[in-house]
Amino acid sequence: MQTSLTYIIDRISSKNKLHAKKIKNNLQNFDENYFSRAELFFRKYQAVLQRENKTLDFAIDCYLQMVADINYETVQFMHTGEYSSKSFDEVNKRVYNNPDIMNYYVHGILMSQFLWAHHYNILIFFSKIINEYSNNIVNYLEVGGGHGLYTSEAISIIGNKAKYDLVDISQSSIDIAKMMIDNNDVSYFLSDIFNFEPVRKYDFISMGEVLEHVENPVKLLKKLHSLLNDGGRLFITVPTNGPTIDHIYLFKNTDDIRSVIAMAGFEPEKEFCIYAEDVSPEVAEKYKVSMMYAGVLKKQK
Amino acid sequence: MERNDVFKQVNEIFIDVLDNESIVLSDQTTAADIDEWDSLNHIHLVVTIEKKFKVHFSSKEIQSWDNVGEMVDSIYEKVK
Repeated sequence: MQTSLTYIIDRISSKNKLHAKKIKNNLQNFDENYFSRAELFFRKYQAVLQRENKTLDFAIDCYLQMVADINYETVQFMHTGEYSSKSFDEVNKRVYNNPDIMNYYVHGILMSQFLWAHHYNILIFFSKIINEYSNNIVNYLEVGGGHGLYTSEAISIIGNKAKYDLVDISQSSIDIAKMMIDNNDVSYFLSDIFNFEPVRKYDFISMGEVLEHVENPVKLLKKLHSLLNDGGRLFITVPTNGPTIDHIYLFKNTDDIRSVIAMAGFEPEKEFCIYAEDVSPEVAEKYKVSMMYAGVLKKQK
Repeated sequence: MERNDVFKQVNEIFIDVLDNESIVLSDQTTAADIDEWDSLNHIHLVVTIEKKFKVHFSSKEIQSWDNVGEMVDSIYEKVK
C-alpha cells in the first residue's frame, strides 16, 4: 500500500526534481520511528485538510510554493548578506495579514516539519526535553504556535495534568493549530505577544522559530522572562542565516543567538544545533548554510 | 552574445561551483545526471550565473528549468 509519505515524494518528484533529490537524501538517514511518526502525522493532516475541503495535492503545492520563496530569498541573501524584510510592519502587511500568502505558507511550514531533516530532529529533541521536564510542568505556553505540532507533542507526553495556552498573531495559524491539536483543553489567544497579559505565570514556554521574526529579539525574550516562573524553562529554536519572506533579524551564528539570550537575562541549560543541509561544517561556513539552534533556557541568577 | 557562448560559460560555472572538472553539459543534462547538482548547489549556480551575466531571475524562473538547455535559454533571452 502506498503511504502518504511516498505519495508526497512522488508528487514532489514530478514537480520539482531538484527538491525531491534533497528530500530523498533526508529520508535515507531516518529510522523506522521516523516513518511511523511521519505516516501518523500526514494521515492526521489529511483529515484536517479534508475538513477544509482541501487535498494533500493542495498542501504539496503550498509546500513547493514556500520552497520557491525560500530559494528566491536565499539567492538574494547570497548577493546582499541581508534579509529582504527590514521591519515587522512590512512583514505584517506582506505576510501575516496577507491571506494569499498565509493560505499556502502555513501549510508549507507544516509539511516541512516532517520533510526537512533538521525540523524533524529538532522535534525529537523537544520531545526528549518535555519528557525530562514534564513532572514540573503545570502551566504550559506556546508562543507563535503556528501549526500546533509542538503543543500536540507536549500534550501527548504531559497529558491532562497541565493547562495549555497557545498565543499566535495570525488567525490562519490558530485555525490550523486548533484542528491539528484537536483538544478542547487548550486555550487559544489571537494576540501580539507584547499585548498578551495572562493571569498566571508559566512553568514551560515553547517558542519555535519566532525570534528571527521580530525587530528586537531581546525585547521579546524579556517579555517571555516576565511570563515565566522563576524555576521555569523556556524552549526556543532559532535559525542562523535563514532567509525567508518573513524573517527580519539576522543571526549570523550561534554566538549571536547566545548573546541575545544573555542580554535578556537567560542562560542556556541545554543546546542542540543542526544544519539545514547535509553538509560538512566547512561547506556550511563557505555557503552560509542555515543552522537551527535549539536551547532550553533558564533565568540567570 | 551567441547562445553557444552562454552555454560554454554555463559549463565553466558548473565545473567551478560543483568542483568537478569532468562535467560536460548538454542541453538535455538534468540534476539526475550530476551527483553534485543538488538543491543547495543549484542556489549557488543561480547566484554565480546572475553575477557573471549581470541578470536577475524571478522565483518562477529559478524553479522552472528542467534541464541545462532551459537554463541557458533563460539566460540567453536576457543577454542577447
